[in-house]
Amino acid sequence: MRERLLRRRLDDPSTNSAVVVLRDVTKGYPGGNVALRDVDLEIPEGDFVFLVGPSGAGKSTIIKLLIRDELATRGEVYVDGHDLARLPRRMVPRIRRRIGIVFQDYKLLPRKSVFENVAFALEVTGTPRRRIRPAVERVIALVGLSAQAGQLPSTLSGGEQQRTAIARALVHDPRVIIADEPTGNLDPLISWEIIQLLLRINELGVTVLMATHDAEVVTALRKRVVALEEGRIVRDETGGAYHRQD
Amino acid sequence: MIGFLVFSLRRAGQGLLRNGLMTVAATATMALMLLLLSGFWVIRSGLAAGLEFVEQKVEVVADLRDDADPVDVTALRERIAALPEVAAVGYVSKDEALLRFREYLAAQGEDDLTQYLGDNPLRASLEVTLHDPRDFGPVIERLRGEPIVESAKDIGSLVERVLTVTEVLRTVGVVVLVVVAIIVLFIVMNTIRLAVVARAEEIDVMRLVGASDAFIRWPFVFEGAFIGLLGAALALGALALAADPLGSFMFDFFRLLPLQLGTLARDVAILVLATGFGLGVLGSWISVRTYLIK
Repeated sequence: MRERLLRRRLDDPSTNSAVVVLRDVTKGYPGGNVALRDVDLEIPEGDFVFLVGPSGAGKSTIIKLLIRDELATRGEVYVDGHDLARLPRRMVPRIRRRIGIVFQDYKLLPRKSVFENVAFALEVTGTPRRRIRPAVERVIALVGLSAQAGQLPSTLSGGEQQRTAIARALVHDPRVIIADEPTGNLDPLISWEIIQLLLRINELGVTVLMATHDAEVVTALRKRVVALEEGRIVRDETGGAYHRQD
Repeated sequence: MIGFLVFSLRRAGQGLLRNGLMTVAATATMALMLLLLSGFWVIRSGLAAGLEFVEQKVEVVADLRDDADPVDVTALRERIAALPEVAAVGYVSKDEALLRFREYLAAQGEDDLTQYLGDNPLRASLEVTLHDPRDFGPVIERLRGEPIVESAKDIGSLVERVLTVTEVLRTVGVVVLVVVAIIVLFIVMNTIRLAVVARAEEIDVMRLVGASDAFIRWPFVFEGAFIGLLGAALALGALALAADPLGSFMFDFFRLLPLQLGTLARDVAILVLATGFGLGVLGSWISVRTYLIK
């Protein structure tokens, strides 16, 4: 823990091992709407971070900035040591492959099987075919869906669909998994299965950033909690609960 | 590179098959719009040919003296025909002029008054057709200088009036064609855009897992090209089928006009294929762009 704190103090993002760095980031939209104000956030490699806060607090904006769907109005955003504002356009897909992203609504392609959905992520990034099968089989086994590999998403439970999405996020061996409300559509028991899976992935060395409303999960796990309100970070607490505990 | 091509073509094929309804709708729209465009192209070509036909009817007529020696007349015909402005020179004999006048009277429903004439008062004449009716001036000058020419009428105001009418009609033809082309452009682009938007989810997934722009774009461009070419083939097939029943009517109509049917058919085929292919590719290219890295 001390080591982690020490590392966080290092100033230069390109030399320390933080996977994600936001420095003094402000994001405004035309019309004067400001989604993020002066956000400083540093996530070292191997961390597990909950991003909490009410709807509209800026969680989704942070995710959009990290996958470089949008650019910060002010400040710097680093992913895997790259300054996203200075990243050439053709390099953007490469950075996205360093990030595995998981959504509340899974975003699976309905006409592709579990295996094909995961393989799709490799096919569309030009991976040679002979390398696709072993990589897909490995992550499908990791999320525990080997038996369902040939099934279509519509025949799976919500939890299984989300595990498929997690397998797809993992197949590029990302440095960080960003999960946007991954348990939002799932009942509590299944939610716990998904959380357990994310924890196991985290233990394998993958950094996890999870945006969630699930107070029970956040409070029970006592991981690092970053709380956003109206575009500002109002709390960044290691071992925190969902709500502030004074 | 080969891997990329194989991937793009395979994805394009999958996209076309799995979104069958969209493929059919886009191809049908493409075919109908190309038919519309080619129809207007044919009409405009017919109009242009018709106008040219009318312009060629504007002739310089030189009346010949009654005592002109046939040898001199033949020599004059040859000299005039050799002028660069002149397309053709016709000779109307005195008898033929009388015959024409009688036909004219009959067509007007008037009595044939010429039967009361003892002698044929009409003159033989040369009818000079010009490449461009605007060039009548020097030809008339030349004819007036010839000793066997009695008179050559100034056709300045006639030429001006005919040309004004034909120019206006020609411009209207081009404007209508351009308007139709723009309508076709918008409808086809929108249809392809719909086909792309229907698969926004898939594009979104590709983007999020780190597909490069080329991997996202090219399968759609191939699909667009395919839809364009298939639509063009259908449109040309329909035109070929329609050409036969319309043929006899068209033949009578176009035979009058200085229109080459072979050239027209070739132009329409090139127009339809190039437009179909071009709009398919362009439509996909532009529609997918919305989803690429900003």
